[in-house]
Order: sequence, then C-alpha cells, then structure tokens
Amino acid sequence: MNSNKKLLGAIVQNLLLVIYAIFALFPLIWMVILTFKPDTQMYTTTFIFDPTLDNYKEVLFNSDYISYMIDSLIVSGGAVIVSVVAGVPAAYALARYNFPKKEDIAFQILSFKFAPEILVVLPLFMIFQKLRIYDTHFGLIWVYQLISMPLLIWVVRGYFEDISVEIEHAAQVDGYTWYQIFFKMLIPLIKPGLVSAALLAFIFAWNSFTFPLILAGTNVQPITVAITKFLGTDSAHYGQLAVAATVSALPAIIFALCIQKHLVRGLSFGAVKG
Amino acid sequence: MSRIQLENVTKKFGKVTALDGVTLDIKDKEFFVLFGPAGAGKTTILNCIAGIQIPEEGVVKFDGEVVNLVDAAHRDTAMVFENYALYPQMTVYDNMASPLRSNLYKKDEEYIKNKIQEIAEMMKMDYLLQRLPSQLSNGQKQRVAMGRALVRSPRVYLMDEPLAHLDAKLRNAMRTELKEIQANFGTTSIYVTHDFMEAMSLGDRIAIVNEGHIVQIGTGDEIYYMPCNEFVAQLMGDPEINIIGGTLAKSAKGYTFTMNAGGKAYELPADADLFAKFDEVGLEKVEMGMRPQHLKYSFEPKEGYLKCSVYSYESIGNKSVIVAEMGELQLRMIAPNGLTVKIDQDVYVDMKLEHAMFFNADTKEYVTRYNEAEIKSFAIRED
Amino acid sequence: MAGLRIEHLYKRYENSGKKKSVQNDYAVKDLNLVAEQGEFIALLGPSGCGKTTTLRMTAGLEDITKGEIYIGDVLVNNLHPKDRHIGLAFEDYAMYPPLTVYDNIAFNLKAKGVDKAEIDKRVREIAPLMQCDDLLDKMPVKLSGGQKQRVNIARAIIRRPELLLMDEPLSHLDGKARQAMRTEIKRLINDIKCTTVYVTHDQLEAMSLADKIAIINFGVLQQYGTPAEVYDDPVNEFVASFIGEPPMNILETTIKGKGDHFVFTFEGSNLEIEVPKRYNNVVKDGFKCKMGVRPMDVLIGGPDSKGTSEEVATFENLGDERRIGIHVGGTLLMLITDAETRYKAGDIIKLEVRGEKTHLFDIETGDRIRE
Repeated sequence: MNSNKKLLGAIVQNLLLVIYAIFALFPLIWMVILTFKPDTQMYTTTFIFDPTLDNYKEVLFNSDYISYMIDSLIVSGGAVIVSVVAGVPAAYALARYNFPKKEDIAFQILSFKFAPEILVVLPLFMIFQKLRIYDTHFGLIWVYQLISMPLLIWVVRGYFEDISVEIEHAAQVDGYTWYQIFFKMLIPLIKPGLVSAALLAFIFAWNSFTFPLILAGTNVQPITVAITKFLGTDSAHYGQLAVAATVSALPAIIFALCIQKHLVRGLSFGAVKG
Repeated sequence: MSRIQLENVTKKFGKVTALDGVTLDIKDKEFFVLFGPAGAGKTTILNCIAGIQIPEEGVVKFDGEVVNLVDAAHRDTAMVFENYALYPQMTVYDNMASPLRSNLYKKDEEYIKNKIQEIAEMMKMDYLLQRLPSQLSNGQKQRVAMGRALVRSPRVYLMDEPLAHLDAKLRNAMRTELKEIQANFGTTSIYVTHDFMEAMSLGDRIAIVNEGHIVQIGTGDEIYYMPCNEFVAQLMGDPEINIIGGTLAKSAKGYTFTMNAGGKAYELPADADLFAKFDEVGLEKVEMGMRPQHLKYSFEPKEGYLKCSVYSYESIGNKSVIVAEMGELQLRMIAPNGLTVKIDQDVYVDMKLEHAMFFNADTKEYVTRYNEAEIKSFAIRED
Repeated sequence: MAGLRIEHLYKRYENSGKKKSVQNDYAVKDLNLVAEQGEFIALLGPSGCGKTTTLRMTAGLEDITKGEIYIGDVLVNNLHPKDRHIGLAFEDYAMYPPLTVYDNIAFNLKAKGVDKAEIDKRVREIAPLMQCDDLLDKMPVKLSGGQKQRVNIARAIIRRPELLLMDEPLSHLDGKARQAMRTEIKRLINDIKCTTVYVTHDQLEAMSLADKIAIINFGVLQQYGTPAEVYDDPVNEFVASFIGEPPMNILETTIKGKGDHFVFTFEGSNLEIEVPKRYNNVVKDGFKCKMGVRPMDVLIGGPDSKGTSEEVATFENLGDERRIGIHVGGTLLMLITDAETRYKAGDIIKLEVRGEKTHLFDIETGDRIRE
C-alpha cells in the first residue's frame, strides 16, 4: 500500500506540472500560431486555419524589419561590450581592493537600477538634445549600459570574491605579471559568471522600450519601438506583429543556446581546499 | 642558494599589528621551520619574504641584498600555499608547468616535460598529470601544490602549512615522505606549520612565533629540551607537558621541591649544575615541567607514589594517555594501548625527577633543568 | 535504558538510473551488532562505508531495506523516530537560532508537554554535566564550536533517551578543543550510563571512547570487538592498517625454510624475520603472503645484535619519540623508538623484529592467516 501511495503522489505531481507548463507556455505557442494565420482567420480561437507564410514575407522582405534588427543588435551589443570592458575591472576592484567608501560605491552602482526609467528619461532627453546624441547609436548605447552595467558588476564581483586570493599570489610567485594573471587565470575562472551576466544584460538591453521610444526613433529604431509600427492607425496587422515579435525573440534565444555550456557553474570549485 | 634575513620587520593590517620587530637569519640551504599557534603571524612572515606583502618597517634581505622593493614575481621564490591555490581550469600537468611557462622563468616544452616527469615520479603522482584539480583528493592536491613549487630551482622554497588540511594519518604519512625527499631540495626552505611533529621532524632549526614576535629560535632538540618559557614547552609535545607548581627549599643534601597541590615534598636528585643555578637565582616559587613519558604509574599503592584518580584514559595512536587527577592538578602520562582502566579508579603516580625542567612561577620563563650541559652538547649546533 | 540489537540489516538505495541487479548497490550488507545496555560502541570506517546509513536507520530517519533493529526488546523497524526513545547529536549543530541555549535544550521537553518546573529541574541538572550552565541565557550565534557541540549533546540527553546516537560530533572542532571534548563525552557517558552508538571515521576517537568498535568497510562489518582486540588481533589487512597511527607495516613476503624454522624474506631486501613457531603447520617453503607488524614491535638492536643490518631511509625526531623509516623492497618499514639516539639517513642500524608480534595476511583477500 505504501508503494501505491507513492505512485499516486507522483501522478498528481506530474499532472500539476503539466498544467502549469501549459499555462506558462500557451501565450508563446499562440503567438507562433498567429504568425502562420492569414489576416482573415486572425480572430478564430480554434487550432484549425490555413497556414501561410505571407506574414513572414511581408515583415522580412517588404518592410525595414532587418534594419530595425540591426539597430537593436548594435545598441544592445554595444551596451554589453561597454559593460564588460568597464564593468569587469570595476568588479575586480570592488572584490579585491579595500578603499574608503567601497561598499557605498558598490551600492551606488546598484542604485542606478532603482529609478524607474520613465523618471529619468525626460532629463536624459534634454541632455541628449544638448549633446547632439539624440537619436544616435552612441546615445542609446550610453543609456543602455546604465541598465546592464550594474547587474554585470554585481554578478562578476561575486565570482571574483569566490576565487581565493592565493591563486593570484601563486601566479605572481610563478613569475606572471598582473595583466597575464588577469587574462590567463582570472578571466577563465569568472567566465561562467561573466557570460551569464552578459546574457542577462543583453536581454535587458534588447527588451528596453522606454529609452529608445523617447531618445531615438527616426535614424535609429530598435526592434521594440519598431514593432509598434505594425499597429497602424487604420488597421492592426496582428499576424505581422506576431512575426516581428517572434523573430525579435530569436537573437536572445540563439545567444543563450550558444553560451549554454558556459552557464554551468562549478569550474572554480575544487581547486582550493574543500 | 640564498641566505634570507629579516631585520626588525613590522607589518600592520589597519590597526592590527601582525608582525612586531621580527628578526631572522636563515642560512643558505637550511630547512627552517616557523612554528606557532594559529594567528601568530607565521604566514605573514612568509608573505613578506615572498613579496606578496610589503612590511611597513624593517628590511628583507636575500643574500645581503635588500629586496623590499622587488615585486613577488622577481624575487625568484617558489611557494606552496595552505589552500594549495591550484589553477582550477588547468590540468595537473599545466599547473606544474605554469612556473616554467611564465616569461620570467621560461623553459622550452621539452625541458618542461622532462622536469615534470621527474618531479611527478619523485612525488609518486605521475598518474595524476592529466586530471583537473577538482578531480583530486586533498592529499593529491597537496602533492601537486608541492610539485608545482619543486619544478623550479628558486632561491628559496616557501611552504605554508602544506599538510594542514589532511587528516591525521595522511598528514603523518606525507610528513615522512617529505622528510624522505627533503635531501633533494638542496635549497633554502622555509616551512610554516602549527604541528609540532612537523616542526621537530623537518626543521634544521625552528623559530617559535607567537603574537607577531619570535619567541625562540633553535634546533628541535634545543626547543624540546630547553624551552625558553612554559608557552613553548606546552607547544612542543603531545600530550602536553605537565606543569606542576611548587616551592623550592634548601635542604641538607641539596634542594627539596614541595608540590602546591597535596603538599608532598620531593628530595631533588643531586645535580651540581642545577643546584648551582638554584643558588644563583634564589627562587622559591617555581613550576616544574615534566613530560608525560617521565611519569610512572601503578594501579596498586606503591611506596612514595602519589594517590590520584583516573580522569581519562585515551589512545593517541600507538600509545595511550592516562590523565590522573589530584584536586585541581591534572597529570598526563603515557601508557600502552589496550589497558582496562576505569574512570575515577585509583592510580598511583611517581615522577622521574631527573628529567625535570624548572620555570619561574611568576614570569613563566625557563630557569634550568637536569643535565643541561649534556643536552646543550647535542642540542645546540654551532656552524 | 536498553541495549541495541541489529540483525541482518541491509540497505539498498534505489538508484533510478542504473539497473537494480548490481550486487554492490548495498550501502549496508548483512550487518549484525549487539550493544549491551550501557555500552558505548563506535561505528568506524572510511567515508561512504555505510556507518552513517546504519545510524540513520537506527534513528528511523532512513527506511530499512531488510533486517531488524531492536532497541531493548522492541522491534523498531516501523516506529516513528519520536517513539524510539533516542537522543541524536549530529555533526552539524542544528540549533534553533532565535532561541536561547536554555530554550534549545528545553525544546524537546516542551514539545512533549512536560510541565515547566520539571523542565527547569532537568535543564539545571544537565547543564553542569555538559559544562554549559553559564551559557544558558546566550543565543546560539554567540557560541564557539565546542560550546555549540556541548549544547547539542545536552539537548540529546535531556530526554533521557534509551539510546544515544552521535554522528561525528567532533568533526567541526580542531586540535585541542577536539581532544578536550572527547574526554568530556567519555566522562559524560560514564556518568549517565546510556547505551551509545558513535559514528566516526577517526580511529583515535573510536579507540579512545568506545567499549567496542565495529569496523565497517563497503557496507560490510569487518570486525566487532574491544579496542584492544581490534588493535592486537585484527581479522584482516583492512582492520590492521586502519587502526593505529602510524599504521601497521604491511609487506609482501615469501617464506623460506631455514634449518628448523621458517623466515620471512622480502624481494629487494636482505631482511629476514623469523616466523613464529606457531605458524609452522600453515606455512611452507615458498609460501607467499603479507606480513604485518606494528611500528612499536620493530626494534633497533645493540652492537652485538643478531639482527639484519639496514640503512636508515628517514629519521624523524618528534621529541616525545623518534620514527625511523627503512626501505624494504618498495615499501617504507616504519619503526618507533623512545631511545635518545639520533640517526640520519644513510646510517646503518641493526633491525630486530619481534617475530611473535607479526601477523600473516592472505595475499589476495587480505584475510588473516591464523596458526
């Protein structure tokens, strides 16, 4: 009877998980289905429709969609690169060195993320106009790294702190310079943290809407802003909108799949005493 | 090939003084042990020599040349870290090759391969070379850490508690192994430990470190037989030395020692030098140090034996320790394994007084001991 | 108060991945143990040998695959842990952080609904035993490792358990604290006379504390006996080398006839040790086995000694004693001496082995060969 109880428990557990999975995934599935529906069948709620690739053709070949994608890639990628180049040394400094007000500075960096975007976007708009970087890639990269850098610094700092300082000392005694130690010893060790933080930073930047809406829009149009174009004033092309949204989710997914093997943590364990 | 000197080295971490006026003179090719309790400053001394830390005051000299301003990479030392500090992303082979691949000590790959093979065979770890540090046991990691230091021929080997994280059995086995390969070092070596057996076994000379000071420097025998104070006496030896408080009084034949606990008086065996020293210092209150192996016990009453009760009877490996209690005083003594001893049963204890050492009861400083001249003759090495 | 009886105990973990049929899936295999009332027994073995699993099955924290466990005369296989009248002290101090030491110790009794005056009486009774009377008002975070372990043990014994189970309670303490705590545990158990099962991987702890030691390897009980028995009369090579520090010297040997007696000979060495006469009818010329001898039973002979001349490979002066290593073939034979003589590597000494103290082990199975 004991084993019957266990079996029942397992069935109930799995059932609940399946229900949750359907609930969580349904909007995504529905969106993908929408991309294949002709406009006329857009509002039916059955799974029966005449599949068509018209929406894809329209979006990918007859609109500026590709250029929006490229804009998004430039600004999001740029923001991530800036964050990594400036953030990793900053994280190292915060992890290794003791200097006055260290914790305050670390907290300050994190606090950039506290303010709602909408609150700072107007002053930024005016500053950008004055500096003539409004509606430029440079301007957007600048403001995107505000979103991505704090996250990256905090994650990577934790990884640096986990590396025992003796590893650096050992490498020093072995005759390596600080730069060699940093790039040959430390960077490989923080890689799992670095790539996962970079991925998150990329996704945040990619999905950002408020900043590009206000601070760009003509020369530079990231995908999030551009998608709204498919909701015209006269007609709403939901199929095309769905295609635009689905395709725009791809880069982040591809990025994540590519670096999946680095997301596994644990490399840094086991080298020092257990 | 190096003589390492520290002169008046003081190192502070914020408001904490880790080292306070440390002066050491370590001879070329000497195996020198820094021994003391946790937090004594031993590792800081090592780090100052390696150049990982820079002292605020005093100088560090290699062969008479001040190296304070030389950075760690250029001091030409090799170090074994307490936590091994292996590079986790590299195989054992690459870990060991790392010192020989840096720009400073670069060797060609052929040389590296042969050298690693040689060291790995000596350390009995050639079968580990392709593994990652995460796939090694603590004992194996320790070997690799040691091997990584030995591939180079630096001016000095620095070893920071390399055996500390191994369990007792493995630690003893590794210590013996280390002793066996020690002759191959042929280079000045400085070894930090908090295990007195490692210190005694490995050290040509030992420096006792406590609270940032050097307390005593000498050969193992010198420190074991003539500790400069009770603190050192207690550090050297397991089970700990018995410290018995009492008073000295002149008697017809020489001196009597009366124990504070129980009030039993012992006529001290004659030793002209010892009595001369007593005459000279004129002390009354002393504490007598008796190593546990110099106590005798009997479970039957015996003439002249002190009556005590058994507080505990425990194995320490190849032998056991009986702790006998008499009022406040606890006496530790060595007994064989496998006796049938009941807690709180009576035990009768006597002391081999001819092995006693004496300390000043107020300052806890060493005064004198039996056979001091003889012990000096074999314990103190002048060279 | 009651004894403990374990009969034909098996434990197998159901590993979902592998097929079940594999024989050595057993974490514990046909374990039989009896602890008389008031006895202190130690389960000793390397990590992963099944000692903790056995303890957890006894405590009721783990299902029993097969076999029976009796506490007193009661079969407890299907009893809930709380009904087994046991006290537990585990290696990690699981104290309730928001409660004072007093409340931590009293927690079990409160849960059982014992009245306040009685609880107070018992806490005041136990606290001095574990030397934690002046800690009672402190919070757990303020305690040192040793103090926490004291409170932990006090908490285990306040229920007046019939059986006290301890799992490596000293493993978090270091050096001196550990030694002191070991003595305290020994004295405490001596006072309260509670049947105790103590799990450890440290042979010193087992040798010091236990009335009887059960040595377990790969889930199988190797030997169960008093410390003196397992030290002097090990049943196999594993027990011989696990007990004692430094461990017993174990060397592969070929026995050769020499006149009216036999000698142990060793490949790559001219060392010869006389085989005790009592083995005469189990050995013969050319017989291969392993010889074990404790380092204390290898002696250095005087100038007129008949012993073999050997070269010192390592000499360690440890103050209290001196250890000498000698290469016999590929193995380092260790000996311990209290003599004051100092040697150095390369010195020649006369080696004498107390032949009567040697043990013979089967070269394949490691089992003891008896006369």
